[in-house]
Amino acid sequence: MTDIADNNKPASQPIETEKNDAETIPVAKQTAQTLTKRILELLFLLMFISTLLFFLLRLTGDPAAVLAGETGDQEQLELIRKQYGLDKPLIVQYGVFLYKLVQLDFGSSLANAQDALGLVFERLPTSFTLVIIAFTANLIISIPLGAWLGSRPDRTGRKLAATAVFVAQGIPGYITGLLLIQLFSVELGWLPSIGNQGILSWIMPATTLAAFQAPQVVRVISANVAEAMREDYIRTARANGAGFNTLLWRHALKNAMLGATALIGAQVSFLVGGSIITEVIFAWPGLGRLLVTSVQTLDFPVVQAAVFMIAIFVYFAITLTDIVFLFIDPRLRRQRA
Amino acid sequence: MSVVTEGTADAARTAASGETILSVNDLVVEFPRPGQPTDFRAVNGVSFDLRQGETLGLVGESGSGKSMTALSLLGIVPAPGKIIEGSINLRDRRIDNLPVNELRKVRGNDIGMVFQDPMTGLNPVRSIGSQLTESVLRHQDVSKQEAIELAFHALDDVGIPSARERLEGFPHELSGGLRQRVMIALALINHPEVIIADEATTALDATIQAQILDLLRERLSSATMILITHDMGVAAEICDRIMVMYAGRIVETGTIEEVLTSPRHPYTVGLLSAVPKFDIRRPKLVPIPGIPPTAEDIVRGCPFAPRCRFAETDCDQRPPLEYAEDRLVACWHPRLASERKK
Repeated sequence: MTDIADNNKPASQPIETEKNDAETIPVAKQTAQTLTKRILELLFLLMFISTLLFFLLRLTGDPAAVLAGETGDQEQLELIRKQYGLDKPLIVQYGVFLYKLVQLDFGSSLANAQDALGLVFERLPTSFTLVIIAFTANLIISIPLGAWLGSRPDRTGRKLAATAVFVAQGIPGYITGLLLIQLFSVELGWLPSIGNQGILSWIMPATTLAAFQAPQVVRVISANVAEAMREDYIRTARANGAGFNTLLWRHALKNAMLGATALIGAQVSFLVGGSIITEVIFAWPGLGRLLVTSVQTLDFPVVQAAVFMIAIFVYFAITLTDIVFLFIDPRLRRQRA
Repeated sequence: MSVVTEGTADAARTAASGETILSVNDLVVEFPRPGQPTDFRAVNGVSFDLRQGETLGLVGESGSGKSMTALSLLGIVPAPGKIIEGSINLRDRRIDNLPVNELRKVRGNDIGMVFQDPMTGLNPVRSIGSQLTESVLRHQDVSKQEAIELAFHALDDVGIPSARERLEGFPHELSGGLRQRVMIALALINHPEVIIADEATTALDATIQAQILDLLRERLSSATMILITHDMGVAAEICDRIMVMYAGRIVETGTIEEVLTSPRHPYTVGLLSAVPKFDIRRPKLVPIPGIPPTAEDIVRGCPFAPRCRFAETDCDQRPPLEYAEDRLVACWHPRLASERKK
């Protein structure tokens, strides 16, 4: 980062020379460096999260009691504890947990004895379907809309639209979801309201997610575009005959996307782990809902596996954002060797 | 900076014989001023002719309307300001009332402009090559490959080292001086008839400033140019003729030699007294007291009167731009050569 700061300093050399004699590092190499750094960070993060989770889950209740059910007596409880290793001291349990964690063995679900990680993997494609559709819809709506709003923010039509976007940003996802169900499933009967039943069933959950995230992106892009349109380089381009569309799409938007990329990256991480409410509303068989059910039943092997997986994907999304930045901001691309 | 040399005086004479390329008549640029009875006139009745091969200096303090005059030549006065009166002719063609599509063909193609701040004047996220070729492809009927070649030559011509590699590079990799060279390359790439350099050297260090001035002089010795500056020294370096602006009006105009040696308008006198010179006979710099009228002020009569030590009661009327002896001056009490001898 210090290198970037240096590059932005105005020239102060008495004799005109090239400012930066440093070797240019190819994007591919920088990408590799970023990845390596991220992977190391991720390992530490996973370790920390797993430990936290391990102790938190065991503070919240006795899984053996849940397993035994209402009819279970003391003898049954003892048996279950022994079977799942819950009778050993907590620190020993933790050691075993870590040892298995390294081998990516989260144990079996307490509910149905299936492999916990396997359960999580089963849910991934369903969750990702939703994430990808919502993400794409978000970008398709917000980039042109934001650019349009920001290009001439003083026009009446755009002021009204900007107000609508502002209001939309305040509507929580569960309200959008419930309104959509009421309208399209209950009243009109056009769309299925629960589960993953093909393309039609994707529309409402994806819309719910996109409707929650798009207004934020629209507002950031429109503010950034409005700011960029006042910059000196826009005047330079105008003085060279650039038309409005060139100014907006080729000059201003590119700069505006720098700020928006950070937000979009954060939104993707949110989608991966945080579409929980939406998945619950639409009974969507994804990772979020699996997590909620597992927490409710204290099925901690599954909770651990799910959180573990979400952490990985959140980190993946952040890393991807960093790499995207390398491509869109040339100022980050070069640094001293 | 040095005073006028014989070379520039010769150039002034040749320039005077050239045909008129750009002609501005009674140009008025107004900005709405909410809550006040009158709008603000950033440019207030400016007229001048620019002849082929001439370098015209537009001199004045900040806010005198120099830049607005330049921007209106390209039709890019920032909103909400606009040209409300007057005409601008490029050769025989009136360009101030052209539809935007036509005007865009003038910008960068017939009139090129170099702006003040090279640090912010180039798009930071687009390669230098792409910013140059964008302009070439807009105005010239060439292939992408040819445009890249033209961009390379444009950079090479303004003295940018390893110009070929620079095409791929980005503005932040260059120093301020090199960026200003890129800006100049961008303004020149389509070979416009008229170049406007708006404080093109102001944001640079003194040594780089001299280099850029050399470049302008060398590359544009035969070009037709308007050089906007608040620095009389810079104007003296490369201009043939000078127009002094104050509060949106031209207050004095003449050849560089005339203006430097015998300024007529008290404001010009003041500007020249404020130029540092390496001359021990001149005791010290004399600043002009006060500040020019701002966009909020409503000006009656001579706008310079409040700061003028020669002001008299008749200065509450606006002085017209008239010949005082040999020169156009807008002043009721010009510093005439005949009077000065007394």
